[in-house]
Amino acid sequence: MPQKDAQTEKNILFAGIDLGTSRSSISASNSTREWVESYVGWPKDFISQQVVGKPVLFGAEALKHRLSLDLSRPLQHGVIKEGIEKNEDAVKEIIKYLIELAKPEDGQKIHAVVGVPADTLKVNKLAIRKAVAEFAHSLMVVSEPFAVAYGLNLLNNALVIDIGAGTTDFCIMHGTIPTEEDQKTITNAGDYIDDQLFSYLTEKYPNSKFNKNMVRQFKESYSHVRDIPDEIQVEIPVGGKPVMHDIKNEIRRACESIMPAIVETITEMIARFDPEFQVRIKNNIVLAGGGSLIRGIREYIQDALKEYGPCNVISVEDPLFAGSDGALKLAKDMPEKYWEPL
Amino acid sequence: MISALLRKRELRIRQNILKGVYEDNLKIIGIRRPVIARNRLFYVKKAVPILFIAVLFALGHWDYIKISSFSEKEVTASPALQKNLLPFNPAVPPAGDMLSAADYQGLLSSPDISISRVFGLGVKTIMIDPGHGGTDPGAIGKMGTMEKDITLDIARRLRERLLKYGTYNILMTRNDDSTLPLNKRVELARMSKADIFISIHLNYLPSKPINIIETYFFGPSSDEKVLKLAEKENAGSQYGMNEFKDMIEKIGETLKLQESRTLALSIQKSLFVNSSRNKGDIYDFGVKRAPFVVLLGVDVPAVLAEVSCLSNKKEEVELNDERHRDNIARYLEAGILDYLHKGELQYAAKRRAD
Repeated sequence: MPQKDAQTEKNILFAGIDLGTSRSSISASNSTREWVESYVGWPKDFISQQVVGKPVLFGAEALKHRLSLDLSRPLQHGVIKEGIEKNEDAVKEIIKYLIELAKPEDGQKIHAVVGVPADTLKVNKLAIRKAVAEFAHSLMVVSEPFAVAYGLNLLNNALVIDIGAGTTDFCIMHGTIPTEEDQKTITNAGDYIDDQLFSYLTEKYPNSKFNKNMVRQFKESYSHVRDIPDEIQVEIPVGGKPVMHDIKNEIRRACESIMPAIVETITEMIARFDPEFQVRIKNNIVLAGGGSLIRGIREYIQDALKEYGPCNVISVEDPLFAGSDGALKLAKDMPEKYWEPL
Repeated sequence: MISALLRKRELRIRQNILKGVYEDNLKIIGIRRPVIARNRLFYVKKAVPILFIAVLFALGHWDYIKISSFSEKEVTASPALQKNLLPFNPAVPPAGDMLSAADYQGLLSSPDISISRVFGLGVKTIMIDPGHGGTDPGAIGKMGTMEKDITLDIARRLRERLLKYGTYNILMTRNDDSTLPLNKRVELARMSKADIFISIHLNYLPSKPINIIETYFFGPSSDEKVLKLAEKENAGSQYGMNEFKDMIEKIGETLKLQESRTLALSIQKSLFVNSSRNKGDIYDFGVKRAPFVVLLGVDVPAVLAEVSCLSNKKEEVELNDERHRDNIARYLEAGILDYLHKGELQYAAKRRAD
């Protein structure tokens, strides 16, 4: 691996950024690691500006004040917000905020690698470059699952599955930069689970009051596939009074709703490879993204693939930072001469 | 020794990958121009009409060829021009009853009447067909932008826009990057009983550095007499276009032809007028009749819109901008709505207010 000399290290801050639909994170060469929920909110009017006391809010804080804000989740899959301008601004604000979190020193150059969901990357490369360009001296954009794979040193014969909020991205690594055929995106992902869970709960408890945000929190706390011994009870208000609700089966059904499509895509992608490599790839399946935190998901996939022979599925240790850590590794490894023209 | 070799190999792979990332990003900002793998596809596409004509010639349908290759090309989206260059020669000479040829022509050429309105048909289902997909990338621009991604993105935006009205059922032939052969798309449109079918594509002109917009429709020559008759008999019916189709099998083709053309004119007009308002250097290649398979097999009004031109470098850069793609979706939406609401005073007033 090419080692940068101490001089260069000092003047340049390398940053790996993972721009996610739901959460975005940054890992920098000064050991900063920070994340934020990918929400940007601007006060709706003068009064709300007084209330929130800031011109722009991010993440959890933005969500908390969402009633007084124009809220944007810029990379949300396939959804058109009123005013595209806002969307682009939102990407810009998130990047700016993340880079500020990394606390670059004065005069320090920033070289950034930005990982974005594969689907977003296809048609938004330029827009994302434009949004980041203001805050970095040189930058490269890559697809998120590729950044994860690179970070884990899975350069050859591996399949990375990044289960995000808007999309699930599949990426096969076989010793080169993944081409179009090595990557596939499906829309069965976290948001889809939320929608399913919301409708299941509405069906089961028509009189209880809950919203999409609550449903998302239930999912994040209790998501699982296959049977688990624990009871899952949550508090939801009915007629103003908090009442305990059993949501175990609904959570499981909602989480399992994305699995058939994922399993099908895995088999389809692996089947395209030379049989000799198929075995190696099957032993190197890596789950990343928020979806990799679903309890039992590894076992579910292993079971589902049983008939195709043994396979080994692992989950990344830290899904929140796997993308940005990989992007940082890419940034550090990238030869200096490659940065210049960009 | 072996471990050293392995390490060396890994290093080489790593260097390869890093270089790949670098070159990919160069391509995004348009510094290096990789070889365009598209030329062959393009010629294949253009060869289809020629082949079709040859087949027709062999079958002796010379009349049809004259129409499709000469008159239609002249027709543009402008309603004024459209009246002068009426593309349809009545296939059946008017019988000696009270309907004269002028009546048919008046009906057919009027930009103010949409047949779905005349018949009081409710358009319920709109099927959007993002061109190409999966292993077929379509045209590939110099920066690596793929037609299949752009068409899918525009189609999604169009769907969101149309869904907002709450009155249409919007279907997509594909909603992800999957390979879908043409016959499958046709089958989908048939099975889902879509009332309108819109295929979205991008143009690619390797030899000309221009940007053009054109819209195609398909239809054999028409029998207007039956059309006129059907109008009288069926005014105010509550049938959906598709249910209605079965009843008017005889005039089905005529209806489809006329409707497809009206829809194509409406879309082309909206696309061109709006796009050229933003930038001047766009050419209006008008509405054309062409035997595209997707249009051929669909039983309902079907058009294929070439909404932009990927071979034009400036255009490619803009297509990478979300706003531009959203605008195109907006123009398509306006074209479709114009078609659906033709002759409605309320709608016309609302449009003027916009």
